[in-house]
Amino acid sequence: MRGTLLYIGQRLVLIAVTTVLVSSIVFLLLHQIPGNAFLNETRQTPQALAAELHRYGLDLPLQSQYVNWVQGVLHGNLGESLVNRQVKITPLLVRETSVSATVGFFALLVTVGLGLLLGVVAALRQNTWIDYLASSTAVVGYSIPSFVIAIFGLLVFGHYLYLWTQGTFYYVPGWGKLEQIPVPALALGLPYASYVARLTRASMLETIRTDYVRTAWAKGLKARVVVVRHALRNALIPVVTILGPLITGIITGSVVIENIFGIPGLGKEFVTSILARDYNIVIGVFTFYAALVGLANLTVDVIYPILDPRIRY
Amino acid sequence: MQDLKVQFFVSGGTVNAVDGVSFEIDRGEIVGIVGESGSGKTMTALSLLRLIPEPGRITNGRILYGEKDVAQMTDEEIREFRGNEIAMIFQDPMTSLNPVLRIGFQVEEAMIAHQRFSNKQAKERVVPMLQRVRIPAAKDRVRDYPHQFSGGMRQRAMIAMGVSNEPSLLIADEPTTALDVTVQASIIELIRDLSRELRASVILITHNMALVASLCNRVIVMYAGRIVEQGPTRAIFKNPQHPYTWSLLRSMPRVDEKEKERLISIKGLPPDLGKMPPGCKFHPRCKFRVDRCFTEEPPLDEVDPGQRARCWVLMKNIANPEAQAQT
Repeated sequence: MRGTLLYIGQRLVLIAVTTVLVSSIVFLLLHQIPGNAFLNETRQTPQALAAELHRYGLDLPLQSQYVNWVQGVLHGNLGESLVNRQVKITPLLVRETSVSATVGFFALLVTVGLGLLLGVVAALRQNTWIDYLASSTAVVGYSIPSFVIAIFGLLVFGHYLYLWTQGTFYYVPGWGKLEQIPVPALALGLPYASYVARLTRASMLETIRTDYVRTAWAKGLKARVVVVRHALRNALIPVVTILGPLITGIITGSVVIENIFGIPGLGKEFVTSILARDYNIVIGVFTFYAALVGLANLTVDVIYPILDPRIRY
Repeated sequence: MQDLKVQFFVSGGTVNAVDGVSFEIDRGEIVGIVGESGSGKTMTALSLLRLIPEPGRITNGRILYGEKDVAQMTDEEIREFRGNEIAMIFQDPMTSLNPVLRIGFQVEEAMIAHQRFSNKQAKERVVPMLQRVRIPAAKDRVRDYPHQFSGGMRQRAMIAMGVSNEPSLLIADEPTTALDVTVQASIIELIRDLSRELRASVILITHNMALVASLCNRVIVMYAGRIVEQGPTRAIFKNPQHPYTWSLLRSMPRVDEKEKERLISIKGLPPDLGKMPPGCKFHPRCKFRVDRCFTEEPPLDEVDPGQRARCWVLMKNIANPEAQAQT
């Protein structure tokens, strides 16, 4: 137990270091992009521009800007938006993260739930039509990129089924209704669900042939107990291993999905802020992403020894 | 068990892993099944619990346990039967225990599955069970995982699981093959003592003739999915009638015999179960074969009271087997 806590502590420090490194690199690269946040302002004079640049400290040498920015971050202040004046970035990003996290959570639910279900059923019914159906569905699902599924979902639920759905699923302007979640969550989760299904099937096929599963049958345990407690529990170990990269994939995948569905989350901000050269937001978004990926991977690594007692930190 | 036949349906035809095997086991009896790898001894044992792996199937025969036929049981009946009436101990204790569950729990769930004990009783019985199979410091070790146990300890845990429901028949499939020689003796002793205490019968599957001699009342010798000889241990060891049994015994070094006597090895390999030779299945490797062996398969006939052998020649009709075998 102490070992585990120590391990988590070390990992948290590493995540912090990574996050700082990522944001620094982004900071340096970002200022190499031509243009600035004020190019779209109407009636702009050179004097006005210079005044704006000065107001936000953008006329200072890069290293001074960096020092200023780091000082802000250390106080938990990521600055304010350059495009939408007076908007504080920290609360903005927190709000957007919670929107993205909601969609991401349901996408993960789709990924793990559907993936495990398909994988286990296919393995238990190996070489029957159920297996072939599940396996080929998985191959198709894995081969189609999520943005294609997203557009397909828009067409089906928003257009073809408009009479039935009345646009409930996403067409209503604004965000915040529960009905708006399923379609984007499916689009985001399906490709990964297919991946999980394929992995689970292979892993289950391996475990149901092991000696200890035969022992479980020989003990006279109920089929459900043998499959879930003895076979699936062991089959999950390799599946959990890929869950880390998978969550990362869902987080980055949200950039595309949120733009297609117009979800006001971190992923949408990612794109709009770069296009607007809203320096502070861009760096903030990247910083959040870096921390999120790190924390997701840490969570997976903490679950791992619970599943497999042979692993200890 | 009557006329058991286990067939594997593989691409390119069917393979008879077990073909026409019949035997019976009395209460409290310890029976050894011996034979080379692939002789069908493990499949015979697995079919007693209907645990034949895919694509295998029991295609013929009856497996009578008292009045009930194992081959005809419903899924729920066979589930209730496994581990309760007949328990099995497998060859490799390293892989036969679930690596992610605690030892104590694996023993406990075997008891809970059959509701012979309440959940609470089952929980309380775990430590005594582990003590009974002579696991030292059992109280501290119930919460261990299999990887914290040594091979011998794991096999003891397997045995604890097996006997926890006090079955009337215990099948031990090469229980000591994967273990150190020093541990082997204590495991065998444990199986013998427990079978006495529980008045349970034991089927010991092995290719170790010495083990059979020290433990079993009766021996069944299998070759290529068939029984080639069976009888009381003493008779089989003293007067083996089938050339295969005879060669098996002569291939084993003995301390009490003159050093000059050479060990006899059985030339060749057991036949491919998919391409079985005609006639007696052992004739390609037999030193004592006659013309008839090439074409006709001998029946399993009684050669002495209680002893049966599947051979046209029989060893008692051969004057000087040692000399003939050396040629």
